[in-house]
Amino acid sequence: MATLNDYAIVTRDLTKTYKSKIRSPDQRTAFFQRKNRTVTAVDHLNLEIRRGELFGLLGRNGAGKTTLVKILCTLLPPDEGTASVNGFDVVKQQMQVKQSIGTIFSVGERGFFWRLTGYSNIEFYAAINNVPRRGRRERIMEVLDLVGMKDNAFEVFQKYSGGMKRKLALARALLPDPPILLLDEPTTGLDVVSSRSIREFIRNDLSRKAGKTVLYTTHYIEEAAQICDRVAIMHKGQLIALDTPDSLKGMAKKGEVLDVVVKNISEAQVNGLRCVDGVASLAADVQDAVLGQTDLRLRLENADALPGILDFFFKEKIKIVNFKQEEPTLEDAFIELTGAGISE
Amino acid sequence: MTLLQELDKIYFFMKRDILSFSTYKTNILLSVLSALFGALSYAFLGANAQMQSVLTSYHINFTTYLLIGLAFNTYLSQSLTLVQRTINPWSLEEVLVSPTGLFTFIVGSSMWGFIWSTGVIAIYLAVGVFAFGVVLSVNIVGTVLVVALGIATFIGFSMIGAGILILTKQGDPVTTVITIATNLFGNVLFPPQVMPQALQVISYFVPQYYFFTTIRQVLTGATLQAILPDLLVLILMCAVILPLGYLAYSWCLRTAKKNGTLSWF
Repeated sequence: MATLNDYAIVTRDLTKTYKSKIRSPDQRTAFFQRKNRTVTAVDHLNLEIRRGELFGLLGRNGAGKTTLVKILCTLLPPDEGTASVNGFDVVKQQMQVKQSIGTIFSVGERGFFWRLTGYSNIEFYAAINNVPRRGRRERIMEVLDLVGMKDNAFEVFQKYSGGMKRKLALARALLPDPPILLLDEPTTGLDVVSSRSIREFIRNDLSRKAGKTVLYTTHYIEEAAQICDRVAIMHKGQLIALDTPDSLKGMAKKGEVLDVVVKNISEAQVNGLRCVDGVASLAADVQDAVLGQTDLRLRLENADALPGILDFFFKEKIKIVNFKQEEPTLEDAFIELTGAGISE
Repeated sequence: MTLLQELDKIYFFMKRDILSFSTYKTNILLSVLSALFGALSYAFLGANAQMQSVLTSYHINFTTYLLIGLAFNTYLSQSLTLVQRTINPWSLEEVLVSPTGLFTFIVGSSMWGFIWSTGVIAIYLAVGVFAFGVVLSVNIVGTVLVVALGIATFIGFSMIGAGILILTKQGDPVTTVITIATNLFGNVLFPPQVMPQALQVISYFVPQYYFFTTIRQVLTGATLQAILPDLLVLILMCAVILPLGYLAYSWCLRTAKKNGTLSWF
């Protein structure tokens, strides 16, 4: 039986609501009559992340992932509920929480000084994160070596590539050797090679070797599936599923999965396809705008739905370019649970 | 959190700013030249346009009056925008998630600005002393005290302005109002006595007037006892404005955090 002490991060009924002015053209109101819109970014969230766990938080943009990270790192006070990090309350024990965490925000180069070298940047953050003066230089070189930036340490930050900037952000988060890392979309905007290198580093070095607790938010489904011990799917501020990547995939295994590439399908036709008997969910992604090709990922309630779908394509004169049956993925589970693709 | 740890942080804030500043070499050269030529222009102006009211009220010539006013206005301008300059949306969140207190953050972010301002003041005074025969007889204790009070008062204003900036995300009205008040009623470029009586009265309600009046006196040999009445007013104003500024800034920061708009600029 796990006790609260076994958890690095615990939230109870955590809620955060934003008020924002309505600005969309169809909702615009007169200056003195501007309406406030209330958005619940985190909605009565209950979460327990075990010590040493690599925990993935998956959700679309606006699902509430960044808000949750900001609450956990004390940048945002919650409206309701409680959250504790390393056993410390994020509202009442902010300094202890800050000493327990390393953070990367989704824009990795934030907070760096572009005209300084990577080393000088890290040295500054080492000082303000209480890395002891004695041995500080060694610690800086150690973390730079750890993320593979030792050879570029004395180059000016503005000359770094996107991947190098993100690695430096990782080095900054690791400086005080915190037990908990909050990584908010650490690979966003990076090329495939840099992304993989950072993922492997997080998985192998930080999680497996160093035993850090990592909260890893992403909207890249495969990332979460590849590296995380457990994955939670966040949707409209709530956790709608939480399990191992394999178990989550299993949720989508109840039906058949079809991957169909079609030509010149309209939005109305996509919506029509959703209504065909036996279609449990459908995600549509434009594959090639020039060729007019769209990738349709359909999850069927059972194989009996297949003739109805083919009939729909025939009646609507939709040309099929490619058609295959697939094993369900985490994305299928995501679609099943949220009713839409992650990029929609 | 030890004092040494906090001093270490302040040192690294300063080091960061110096390193960054030193990469703008043309800007450094232009700033020095601008201070030098500014000092020369105003010194020539002062030498050729004596103002009787200055001689009567302050017992110094207009060149000395003008150079001290301009030189120390650098400190006040620095202080007035000090807290606003720490609100860099690109680094604010990163610093706020580190175990660094607000006080260390503000002091650390402003140290280099003050050191640079001291260099600019030195240029102004050097031009006055070596090129125009300005005679200074510095009361060191008095000067340090008056400068500290002036800076503290203006940091109070700056915190109010920064708080408004954090909430509105656009220019703060405080900086504009205080700059205008300094130039018009602050006793920087001309004594209030040259203005109509109705406007002169306003001067007595702005701390800048007391700052510039007392700093000129302590730099030309006045004792603390001699400046005591004006000094007491300055202390009183500082005692009100500084805590008010801290409260306003903390409240605005808390509100922005609560609203989730801290890094929206």
